[in-house]
Amino acid sequence: MRGVIAIARRDLRAYFSSPRAAAIFWFFLIFMGFFFNNFIHMFMQMTTQAPMMGGQAPTLEQLLKALFYNLHFILLLVVPAVTMASFSEEKRNQSIRLLQTAPCTALEIVLGKFFAAGALMGLVLLASAVYPLFTITHGNPDKMIILSSYLGLFLLVSSQLAFGLWVSSMTSNQFMAFLFTMFGLFLLLILNWMAPNLSGGGMTESVMKYIASSDHLDAFFKGTLSVAHTAYFLVFTGMFLFFTNVTLDSQRWR
Amino acid sequence: MIEVSGLSKNYGDLAALSNVSFTVEKGQIVGFLGANGAGKSTTMDILCGCIGADSGAAKVAGYDITEHPLEAKKRLGYLPDVAPLHLDMIVDEYVTYAAEIRKIDRSSIKSRVDSTIDKLALGDVRKRLIGNLSKGYRQRVGLAQAMVHDPEVLVLDEPTEGLDPTQIAEIRKLVRSLAGQHTILLSSHILSEVQNTCDKIIIINRGKIVTQGTYEQLAASMESGHIYKLKVARNGANAMTTLGRLGLQNLKAGANPEDIEFAVAASSGDQILDDVAKAVVDGGFGIRGLSLKTKSLEDVFLQLTK
Repeated sequence: MRGVIAIARRDLRAYFSSPRAAAIFWFFLIFMGFFFNNFIHMFMQMTTQAPMMGGQAPTLEQLLKALFYNLHFILLLVVPAVTMASFSEEKRNQSIRLLQTAPCTALEIVLGKFFAAGALMGLVLLASAVYPLFTITHGNPDKMIILSSYLGLFLLVSSQLAFGLWVSSMTSNQFMAFLFTMFGLFLLLILNWMAPNLSGGGMTESVMKYIASSDHLDAFFKGTLSVAHTAYFLVFTGMFLFFTNVTLDSQRWR
Repeated sequence: MIEVSGLSKNYGDLAALSNVSFTVEKGQIVGFLGANGAGKSTTMDILCGCIGADSGAAKVAGYDITEHPLEAKKRLGYLPDVAPLHLDMIVDEYVTYAAEIRKIDRSSIKSRVDSTIDKLALGDVRKRLIGNLSKGYRQRVGLAQAMVHDPEVLVLDEPTEGLDPTQIAEIRKLVRSLAGQHTILLSSHILSEVQNTCDKIIIINRGKIVTQGTYEQLAASMESGHIYKLKVARNGANAMTTLGRLGLQNLKAGANPEDIEFAVAASSGDQILDDVAKAVVDGGFGIRGLSLKTKSLEDVFLQLTK
C-alpha cells in the first residue's frame, strides 16, 4: 500500500508540475462552458416560447441532462490525454526501470497510476460543478439528480481511465496510446447505436448494447441508482486494471 | 551475493545470452566487460528483474529474482544504462520518492536521503530540477536512486558512459569507496576502467562468458609481452628493414610508413628497446616517439576469442 501511495502522489504531482493538468482543466471547463452557455440560451428561448405554443416549458433537469450527455464527448478527448503518458512516457524515457527494480508488485504500480489519474479527474469533475451550482443558485433543480449524475460520471471516468491505462501499458508511444484509447472509448459510446446494424438483433444486439457505456450512464442521469449499473462500471474498471496488471507483469518476461 | 547460473535469452532468432554463469562474492567489485551488444545490459536487466530469461536462474543476496522478487529487490540497487530519471522532479523529491517505493522505514527516509545526497555530493543541486542538471549530475542522481535504500548489491550499467574525465574519476573513486559495504557488479566496455576499479573481471562476448578472473590472471593468460609504438621522422620503409634485423616480433607499419608497431616478448627484457632506439638514431631516421601501446578491449577480445 505504501508503494501505491508513493506512486500515486508522484504521478499526481507530475500532472501539475507540467502544463498537462492545466491543459486538461482548461479544455474540459472551456468546452463544458460552451455547451452550458448554448443550452442556457436554448433553455431561455424555449421557456418563453413554449407557453405561447401551448407546450410544456423545459425543466432545469432536462438542461443538466443534456449538459452531462455532452460531457461524455469531452471525456473522449480528455481521458486519453490523462492516461496516455502513464506508462508510455515512463517506458520511453526508461524511468520505468525505477518501478521495475523497486520491491513493488505490478498491482501496486497499476493502482498507483490509477489513483493519480482518478484524483486528477476527480478534481476536474469537482471544478466542473460550477455549472450545476449556477443552476442551483438561479433555479431549483433536483439536487439528488445532480449528485447521482456526478456519481455516474465519476464511475464512467474510472472505467475510461482503467481502459486508457491498459492501452498506455502496451506502447511506448504516447500518441498511439492517445489514439487507441480514444478509438476504444468512442466505440464504447457508439456501440449502443451501432448494435442494431452490426448484429441480427436478439441476443447479440442486447449483449452489444450492454457493453456500451451510454445506457448505464443514462440511469444515473435519470437519478436512479441501481446496483446493476454501478456494477457495470466497477466490473469494467476492475477488469481493465487487471488487464493492465497482466500486461505489466508479462513485460517482465519478454 | 550474486549468483547467476545458466542464463539464456533469445530475441527472436538472435541469441542474446547463452548459458551465462558467474558468481560475485560479498564485498567484491566485479567488472563486467564486453563490447556493445555483447549482452551486458541484458544480463543486468535479468539479474534485476526487469526482463525475464528464457532459462537459468539469478539470485541476489540468496533470493531468486523470479521466485522472491520483492525480497531480492529490497536488497538491490540498479543503475541502468539510461538513468531512470523523472526530469520534471527536484533532486530531493526524486530521491525521497525512490526511498519511498523501496519501502525503507518511514522514520529513516529523511536521514537516508540526506546521507545519500551527501555521499554523492549532490548538496548544491538538491533543490534543482533534474531536467536542468548536467549529464554528470544526472548520473549521480541515478546513483542516488540506486543507493538510497543502502542495498547489499549494487548493479551499475556503464556508470561512466558519456562523462568527462573529471567526472569519470569521481565516479570511479566513489565506486571504490563503496567496496566492502556493498557488493558491486559494474559493466563497461573500457578495459582500463574495470582494470582500475574491479577485483575481478568477467568478459562477455556475443552472449557467452569468455573468461573470468582477476586482471593479473587475465593479463597473464592473454599474452606475455608488450606492444610498442614507434614514430620516426623520415624514411619509414628503410627504418623497417633496419629494425627487421633486430628480430622483433610482429613488426608492421601503420597507416603512415613512419608509424611502426612491434611486439617485445617478456623474455627478451627491456634491453631490446635500447637497441631499437640506437638503431633508429644511428640510421638517421630520427626518433619522434616510442610508447607502450595499452591494450584495448579489442586486443583482449582478439586474443581471447581467437
